[in-house]
Amino acid sequence: MRMTSIATYLFSIACLFITLPAAGAATLDSGAVSGLGIRNIGSAAMSGRIAAIAGRREKDGKVTLFVGAASGGVWKSTDGATSFTPVFDKQSVQSIGAIALDPTHPDTVWVGTGESWTRNSVSVGDGIYKSTDGGENWTNMGLPNSERIARIVVSPQDGNIVYACVPGKLWSDSAERGLYRTTDGGAHWSLVLKGANLSTGCSAVALDPVHPNVLFAGLWDFRRQGWTFRSGGSGPAAPSGSAMYRSGNGGTTWKKLTAATNAGLPNGPWGRVEIEVAPSKPDRVYAFIENTRSALYASDDGGKTWDERDRSQRMVWRPFYFSRLVIDPTNAQRLFKMNLRMIVSDDGGHSFADSSGGSHGDWHDIWIDPTNSKYIVGGDDGGLWLSYDGGTKWWKGANLPISQFYHVSVDNKDPYQVYGGLQDNSSWVGDSAYPGGITNGRWENLYGGDGFWSFPSPKDPNVVFTEAQGGTIGRVNRQTLEARNIQPQPGYGEKLRWNWNTPIALSPNEPGTMYIGSQFLFRTRNAGNTWDRISPDLTTNDPEKQKQEESGGITVDNSAAETHTTIYSISESPKNGRVIWAGTDDGNIQLTRNGGTSWLNVGSKIADVPKARWISWVQASRFAAGTAYVTVDRHTFGDIGSYVERTTDFGKTWTALVTPQTAGVRGYAHVIKEDTINSNLLFLGTEFGLYISVDAGQSWAAFKPDNFPSVAVRDMVVQERDGDLVIATHGRGIWIVDDLSPLRSLSAQAPAAAVTALASRPVQQRIQSNGGWSEGDAAFSGENPPDGAVISYYLRSRQVIGKLTVDILDASGTVIDSIAPGKRVGINRVVWSMRTKPPQVPPAAQIAGASTQGPRVVPGMYTVRLTRLGTTTSTLPLAIGLDRRATFSLTDRRAQFAQANRVKALFARMTSLVSRIAALRTQAGAMNAKLPPSDPLHTSLAQFGERADELRKLIVATKEGGAITGEQRLREKTDDVYGAITSTEGAPTPYAVGRVDALDRELSDVEKNFATLTVTELPALNDKLKAKSLPPLTLAAVDSAAAVARGGPIQALFAGIIGTRFHGTLTPEIIVGGDGH
Amino acid sequence: MFAVRLFVCMLAGIVCVAQAARADSTADLVAKNLAARGGAEKLAAIASIEFTGKIVYPGDFELTYKETRSRKDGKALLESSIQGLTLVQGYDGNVGWRINPFEGRRDAERMSADETRALADDATIDGPLLAAKAKGGAISDAGREDFQGTNAYKLRVVDNSGVQYMYYLDPDTYLEIKIVETRRIRGAPQVTLTEYGDYELVNGVYFPFEIASGAPDSSAAQRQQLTIEIARANIPLSDAIFMLPTAPTAK
Repeated sequence: MRMTSIATYLFSIACLFITLPAAGAATLDSGAVSGLGIRNIGSAAMSGRIAAIAGRREKDGKVTLFVGAASGGVWKSTDGATSFTPVFDKQSVQSIGAIALDPTHPDTVWVGTGESWTRNSVSVGDGIYKSTDGGENWTNMGLPNSERIARIVVSPQDGNIVYACVPGKLWSDSAERGLYRTTDGGAHWSLVLKGANLSTGCSAVALDPVHPNVLFAGLWDFRRQGWTFRSGGSGPAAPSGSAMYRSGNGGTTWKKLTAATNAGLPNGPWGRVEIEVAPSKPDRVYAFIENTRSALYASDDGGKTWDERDRSQRMVWRPFYFSRLVIDPTNAQRLFKMNLRMIVSDDGGHSFADSSGGSHGDWHDIWIDPTNSKYIVGGDDGGLWLSYDGGTKWWKGANLPISQFYHVSVDNKDPYQVYGGLQDNSSWVGDSAYPGGITNGRWENLYGGDGFWSFPSPKDPNVVFTEAQGGTIGRVNRQTLEARNIQPQPGYGEKLRWNWNTPIALSPNEPGTMYIGSQFLFRTRNAGNTWDRISPDLTTNDPEKQKQEESGGITVDNSAAETHTTIYSISESPKNGRVIWAGTDDGNIQLTRNGGTSWLNVGSKIADVPKARWISWVQASRFAAGTAYVTVDRHTFGDIGSYVERTTDFGKTWTALVTPQTAGVRGYAHVIKEDTINSNLLFLGTEFGLYISVDAGQSWAAFKPDNFPSVAVRDMVVQERDGDLVIATHGRGIWIVDDLSPLRSLSAQAPAAAVTALASRPVQQRIQSNGGWSEGDAAFSGENPPDGAVISYYLRSRQVIGKLTVDILDASGTVIDSIAPGKRVGINRVVWSMRTKPPQVPPAAQIAGASTQGPRVVPGMYTVRLTRLGTTTSTLPLAIGLDRRATFSLTDRRAQFAQANRVKALFARMTSLVSRIAALRTQAGAMNAKLPPSDPLHTSLAQFGERADELRKLIVATKEGGAITGEQRLREKTDDVYGAITSTEGAPTPYAVGRVDALDRELSDVEKNFATLTVTELPALNDKLKAKSLPPLTLAAVDSAAAVARGGPIQALFAGIIGTRFHGTLTPEIIVGGDGH
Repeated sequence: MFAVRLFVCMLAGIVCVAQAARADSTADLVAKNLAARGGAEKLAAIASIEFTGKIVYPGDFELTYKETRSRKDGKALLESSIQGLTLVQGYDGNVGWRINPFEGRRDAERMSADETRALADDATIDGPLLAAKAKGGAISDAGREDFQGTNAYKLRVVDNSGVQYMYYLDPDTYLEIKIVETRRIRGAPQVTLTEYGDYELVNGVYFPFEIASGAPDSSAAQRQQLTIEIARANIPLSDAIFMLPTAPTAK
């Protein structure tokens, strides 16, 4: 590191520790901290589970789609899935169960929250929502305790009549489940069909489109516990509340359909029930019924009698997770069944064929275009799929970043890379920044299966430790992509219990030491070649919670997702490697202070949280050996409240930092992390978002930037070198809060001043670079960090009236740039390009592309000055250094800057010359207008003007018309060399300098010719004008020093003129982006 | 905080109402917004206005900016310049047009009908809310919503051509701090979010001097930022400047 960089670094670190004075009564709330901002890096390469889809072919031929992500909100497309916009981000939950479009009101959309594909990791909803403006705005219309909604059906005759099918609470009894009906557009709801017990809700509702008072409904008895689940009763023959019903009066009364009353139906008990009515033939009704002989059933008489149809593997597999039937709207014989692989029948369900093509698999819903049933849009665990051939081949939707990460880690590359595993979508590594944007291709698959923890080896950059479900840990060679299974194996007669989300932890003290937990804690010090078992069973070892072979209810389902009484979280103290904490899924918090020789369950000391709980996270403090934090998750016991505890005495006593009563915090807690610098700065991730405390947990603020939804935050890591917070969400991919410095400098009380500059991390002038390529509109691209110097400040109140300015001053105190300010209350961030004004280029036929931006300022000390309402209120030094990757020196940069300024001076001379030529031509033309063409002076003036213009044509290109003229004059040649000097870093090449020398001489020649013209011909011409009492041609009033806009990269000009202030459709040729930092 | 608001209100010379629990009716909110702008009389007295400043496109490209609006027929002229080349967009009350000189052409071309409508709507002196009110558009209360820490009042405005504007009014000043506009361009909905701030008085009427706009899910860096430095009202204007040029602009 060079001295300059060290000085810069030390200065900035010093700034970080200037904790701002407390003031007034105002405290840091959500609005205050959220201006820190956040960016999404995706990815949509893997995407994530889609739970529901609704679509409509519009009158103009376009296709409108609404896609409901399992835990990533609602996405709308108005162009048939080419592009999507998240339209549900302002709502309080992001788990989607059902979407329905009102057939009678095109702008009315219904969304049922809470997914009904009730796997172990499923999220929760909070009711039914309605939009009357096509999804722009939403209103929660009730059913707040439904938790999840499987289907919504809107009457095709009256949009006020809506049915909501509510499976209800997954983890607890509830009477608020069954089929609800509204007849007044959602103002009031009635429970029109309920189950026989408190665990039976609604799984299906279907409506006869011709006779909409005819309804079918499926009731489903389902319950999960952390260690088992049942679809139907507790076993194949156990009593179940599942059933099927028919109503002929719009749901007012119902008739139960059974084997006894309706020939062809199977005997009970039943599990999940799905029903659909064929839109083109309403007497044709299909039902999938889970029972000991699960099968598809069909009726051709409106449900009176039934036939058993297909019961192949893909029809009956995992009914709790796959049940949707979708019938071709134009062909009652053709129907699709969702499953691990989607299957399709063309003979009314007698036989099925595979319809999954090259999709991910695990299908949940499709929409079939009623005007062209070959066009199908589908969703599975891997995202969105498009078929144009009726479901044989599929395009992958590459624009939905709804990926469901469980965990995240980072390395120390520059830019650093991000690692993480996802629900049913393997483990990946991607870039935190890349020129042109972090496209899907910047992510690399590492392993397979469901993904969880992934860590780059601290000892070998070519090695990644990664993991699939059930503790299947692998060591991956990033060069050869070899994956070696290194999972510890059980001993004789032994079973190791690995959680679905088995914890792995790296030692913060010993690079190369790693832990993994089953019911025992294992440690390796040689990259998994050998493992030491360093604990006894740390769980309750409750045998009643180890009966996963009986899990599933009617259909056995033991996928490792319910494996219980396991270690769920591991953390070695950064202060003392012999202090290790382990949290279990059955509520224990185990501590060893001697490297595993002995263990103590200190969880029992937590008295204010019920024993029925998961220790979802344990985090040893990096500031004190006896301090640790835990998050406690009770949602599998029906309690979605937030619990966070802290100990400072090795678990002897605990203090509640968050309880369900804590203001502003919502959702069961997944993770808590300390900042790496400020021990008072804590980050809490819950099922409903991210929360920040700047006072060691005494108060919390929801972190809600405009673009960040209430999505589950499952893991976080602070990238220590850059001070970034990297966030793994379960539903919206990876997000990054760049540079935590402003938060580190704030106390719980908001700054007193109207505006206060906040310290940021040392600013680097990142090397200018290019990357990426046009990928069209149908591909996601993650956002890069700001390309410039980030300036942070705090506003006590929103800046509505009066001026706020952000000026940049150089070392002499001269204002060299002004930046448009942010106006929000609390933290604001703006970005300075670190560029001077561009050259003043003479006008010509086309824009000079390289000269639209000035050279970057020389690294050094600058000042930020904030002025509000005309009064300077806050200043802050701004230290700018070189890119830490730079292979050039500050001296090189100074040489570059000097040469760029020399070129700017050339341009200024050109501009002056062209201005003077233009002035003489204009005046000559004006004089000529007063003279008859026959006058000899008229000819003289015209000839003088032409000779002057000939000189202009030596300076600037003049061919117009928009074609590619290739015309190169002094201006264009100089633009080329200016670009060569400024577009790369370091000292300019000798040949570039030589080129500037040559152009300087060429310009001098033209200047001499102009001088000759004005000295030799102009006096004589003026004498003639004087003789006619006309004013002379003069250069006295010529002023070429017009105001120059700061400009910018030419790509941004062409891309940017598309917008609200440009009312047109010019096509951007180049995607704007950069690896700024 | 109250003292600060009071100071701002005194400075601004407008009526501020303490944020109260009671609900304001749609009509109240519209009236308060009009009063906050300066009142109907002062607003009506502005026949034309000219803004100059700078505009920064996403990707950080700054141009000088000049915008001229005339109340007569809602005429508008927007000019953005660099290197002596000026992107011009005009509306003469009937025809929308543009000149994009950056690739070598200085002749004007007509805008599409959708683009013309967008330009015309964007450049009214009164703004969409008051324009819709005057022309019988639908205005309704849309409740309140937190916007960046400000508990804003929301008004849904739908003009007679079906364009929807969701207004977010600052609860202290009743000036708009955000508008989400939904219109159809070539048959497809286009949603634009615009934030407003740094209001200044021009002939007794408040106009925003900082305007940031972009897609609803765009970050600050992805938005277009307009900064007004000078505003002049009731300047003499020739109708000719708004009309579709028949000859290329001067070199």
